[in-house]
Amino acid sequence: MSQPEEIFALSKIRRTYTVGSEQVHALDGVDLKIYDREFIAIVGTSGSGKSTLMHMLGFMDSPTGGEMVFERRDVSSIGRGERARLRASRIGFVFQAFNLLPRLTVLDNVMLPLVYSRKPIKDKPGRAMNALKRVGMEHRSTHTPNQLSGGERQRVAIARSLINEPRLILADEPTGNLDSKNRSKIMDLFASLLEEGITLAVVTHDDEVANYAKRRIRMQDGKIIEDSAKGATA
Amino acid sequence: MNPVGDIINGATNGLSEVWANKVRSLLSMSGIILGVAALVAMVGIVQGMLTNMRASFELGGGILKLEVVPRDAPEAQQHIAGISPGMTWRDIGAIEKAIPLAAFVTPIVDMRWERFIVGGRREFAFLRGVSPDLTGIHNRELEYGRFIADSDIASKSPVIVIGTHIRDSLFRDEVNAVGQQVRIRNQIYTVIGQFSHMEALIGGRNSLRWQNRMNYIPATTAMARYQGGDEVDSIEILADRVESLPDLVEQVHNTLTQTHRGIQDFEIRTQEEELQEMKKLENSFTYSLGGIAAISLLVGGIGIMNVMLASVSERIREIGVRKAIGARSHDIFIQFLAEAVVISVVGGLLGLAASVGLLTLAQDFIPQGETIQTVPVTAMFYGFVFSSTIGLLSGIYPAMRAARLDPIDALRYE
Repeated sequence: MSQPEEIFALSKIRRTYTVGSEQVHALDGVDLKIYDREFIAIVGTSGSGKSTLMHMLGFMDSPTGGEMVFERRDVSSIGRGERARLRASRIGFVFQAFNLLPRLTVLDNVMLPLVYSRKPIKDKPGRAMNALKRVGMEHRSTHTPNQLSGGERQRVAIARSLINEPRLILADEPTGNLDSKNRSKIMDLFASLLEEGITLAVVTHDDEVANYAKRRIRMQDGKIIEDSAKGATA
Repeated sequence: MNPVGDIINGATNGLSEVWANKVRSLLSMSGIILGVAALVAMVGIVQGMLTNMRASFELGGGILKLEVVPRDAPEAQQHIAGISPGMTWRDIGAIEKAIPLAAFVTPIVDMRWERFIVGGRREFAFLRGVSPDLTGIHNRELEYGRFIADSDIASKSPVIVIGTHIRDSLFRDEVNAVGQQVRIRNQIYTVIGQFSHMEALIGGRNSLRWQNRMNYIPATTAMARYQGGDEVDSIEILADRVESLPDLVEQVHNTLTQTHRGIQDFEIRTQEEELQEMKKLENSFTYSLGGIAAISLLVGGIGIMNVMLASVSERIREIGVRKAIGARSHDIFIQFLAEAVVISVVGGLLGLAASVGLLTLAQDFIPQGETIQTVPVTAMFYGFVFSSTIGLLSGIYPAMRAARLDPIDALRYE
């Protein structure tokens, strides 16, 4: 069996903030490899660095130390514009608070990333409808987000994250605002998307959600203290 | 990168954002609306005034007119001044004969303020003796009858062309006074023509009222009946075109020097000075109005900036979301800038609409003459361009603040 393709390779990644005169190490030497078609759960208490790690993987932030390789390319110190380009074309985000724009229709919300990815796409609405079909929300395309339930909103947000066919979808507590019925619906949806070939990293403190993942990474004090792919490291 | 697409996209987003916040957008536009409306309406009214002034000027012959008036001979010629016959009817003939550049020539035999009597009614008005060429210089239209003809000059006919002032005060019942008789200094004149009424109201006063008080008789009649000689008070000449004015002045000078036997007892006046005065007035209006408009539009711009800053802080989370899904700082900058421009452009258009309304209202209150200019197109153009520029400038700072937001912080913002 051949080794699946490597998407991310992080080695000794550090992210240090200066708060007043104090140095805070949000990430303190993280080594991590993410492979194609993986489903990773990143768990840890608040302040453990899991959100910072997710921001790194989502090109929302740059490391202050270490090396970060994405799709065989060193991205440790790329600029803001390049990070925005990668966010637009290679990464899909799913948030706890859904973060749909309330004034746009469901269809327009799903199409929004196409505006920023600047790919020459002819049938943008058709493509957005396909994404909505993948999450079972095509019948709500003309509604606005506040006409939808929480679970429906999150499915629309997932459709939005899919539209640019990203290499990696990052979900930050995607079920945090949902009841248990909707939570399992969303996780089932993720599972079916995994079958279709996406790669997913979920940040969560919910063990039930983490159990869906094949690989679990536990963080503490800016370090990975457990990685189910390797066994306990720290 | 596709800048045209960016701008179209930004404008569309801006429009939908403006539409989504109708009340707020309208309030933020109000400064621009008022500024543009006030600017255009004021320029419209002032332009109307200036147009009337210019019309008045043109009515009197405009820039093409020369006036020749008598004056004392210079000191060096005082002892021989007596050899000049003075300004006489013969000068008219000489000019007509020698100077083709003079399109029209008329003597003015000025009786000034005369008493007109019809039956038991009497009224004072101006009376002048002129030649048929007068209507070529003063742009007057006849409502009834005809003007003085060459035959009237030749036969010194006792005929008169009257204005509406005399018609109204002495022939109250007749709209058409042609054929009626008027007595002036015990001489009877038959009315052969009647001018159209002239009116251009400024602040309720007819700026052309003196035109309606002007009445004319043949110059030869005036000379024969009032002074018994052939002296005229002044001569008015109209150049055939502006370019020939300098030559015309020189030729008139030469001709009259000859007829006056070398004595410089006349002066040739052009309308240059009056024109300069009008230009000065126009400039002072332009600058003071421009200043007021600039200040009100500046205030409008500050209003837009204020609203845009509020809009940015209200939508920090949205900015975070947009950035997270791939918007670059540049995209966010364009988005907010476009919104500011849309507000100011829509405000500018509404201001233009309001200014048309204001001008229409102003016209209802002050019935204008035919010369009023209703829609100052140039002012509208500048008002619009200026307000859009103000919107653009006032949008830059808020748009920069939006663009600079860190996506992580923006997403966390509650």
